[in-house]
Amino acid sequence: MRRLVPALHHPLAAGYVLGTLRGRARARFEAFAQDDRALAAVVVQWEDFLTPLADRVPPVEPPARVWRAIAARLVPHNAREEPARGLWSSLSFWRFLGSGMAVAATVLLALVLLRPGTPLAPELVAVLSTPDKEVKMVVEKMHEGALFVHLVKPWASMDAADLELWVIPADGKPRSLGVVPYDRDSNVRRVNLDATLEGGVAFAISQEPRGGSPTGGPTGPVLCSGAITRTKRA
Amino acid sequence: MALDERQAELADLLARSGLGDRAAFEALYNATRSKLFAVSLRIVRERQLAEEVLQDSFVSIWNHASDYARAMSAPTTWMTAIVRNRSLDIVRRGGREESDPEGEKSAALVDESATPALDVERRAQAHVIAECMKGLEPDQRQSIALAFFHGLTHSELAAHLHRPLGTVKTHIRRGLARLKDCLERRA
Repeated sequence: MRRLVPALHHPLAAGYVLGTLRGRARARFEAFAQDDRALAAVVVQWEDFLTPLADRVPPVEPPARVWRAIAARLVPHNAREEPARGLWSSLSFWRFLGSGMAVAATVLLALVLLRPGTPLAPELVAVLSTPDKEVKMVVEKMHEGALFVHLVKPWASMDAADLELWVIPADGKPRSLGVVPYDRDSNVRRVNLDATLEGGVAFAISQEPRGGSPTGGPTGPVLCSGAITRTKRA
Repeated sequence: MALDERQAELADLLARSGLGDRAAFEALYNATRSKLFAVSLRIVRERQLAEEVLQDSFVSIWNHASDYARAMSAPTTWMTAIVRNRSLDIVRRGGREESDPEGEKSAALVDESATPALDVERRAQAHVIAECMKGLEPDQRQSIALAFFHGLTHSELAAHLHRPLGTVKTHIRRGLARLKDCLERRA
């Protein structure tokens, strides 16, 4: 791969960001920057340097038709295949969720029947398995109760990470149920638990930085997931 | 990098847009549209082209919002860079030079270096670059401001400032090198 000599990084990146690098030279530079991380970093540095100048430009209101045109061109993220953000939005995620169902039914029955002191059937239950179909957790909720997160197989110790539990409604936008321990069973109690769970079709566990996702949505890999089965009140 | 309240709010809207939240994306558009439209309008100089730039840029922002976290820049910097790039691309495509050779439009150009910053206080970063711009030779400052705000090429600058092309290139090159020194000292 051809690279730009380092001595030219700053002069050309500056001209690129300023806008004086034009035409074919601009296109060539963009190609270089796409393949060269060091060069791309210099571009970001110049963007950080110069772009705040744009704060001086007095705002001009664009016509409303611009937003309408933008909105018409937006492709929903869950309709795209994107390996980088992948699991949350891709078809393969939902296929893998579906394939977990057969395993789920068997294991679920065993767990619910074998666990002592379960007088009533749960309101909803999900068996969460890894992409390798290994069953890791069972999440269930009794009527008028908390969500119970049962570890089937403990996770390896997590030093700099936390597990976050999500409920996924049919529209695919995960709602957080908070951080859950990796090494023991736990309960999730929330004021608005029923509202959060409403319309949920699956649970999933993602690996997040300590304290949970900083963005309000899953940022790390999906470690396990499973479809929700709802039972009728007896 | 430390973000002020407004930037943190925009970063949050970007993150939610990255997860497919259209309401968050619309809020992001509403919070930034007039500034970004103005930035583009200065470069492309025609409302219709600026509308096209804003459209393309926001579709791109929607598609790449989940990459923002890796960008390590303030949200307005990241978004403004997208809009400026798109504007410069469209100007290149449209061949502006032919349509306005000596130009009344060029005559209407404002020298940004002479106008005070509108909201310098809001962003420390804007303050730093404004201060560093003041430290440049007047010729350097004027050339850089015209290129940045109005997207003028070297030859357009030469025509507008009535200077030889080589002189303009030297002003830009030396001005950028001085800016870099100043910005790095203050970083």
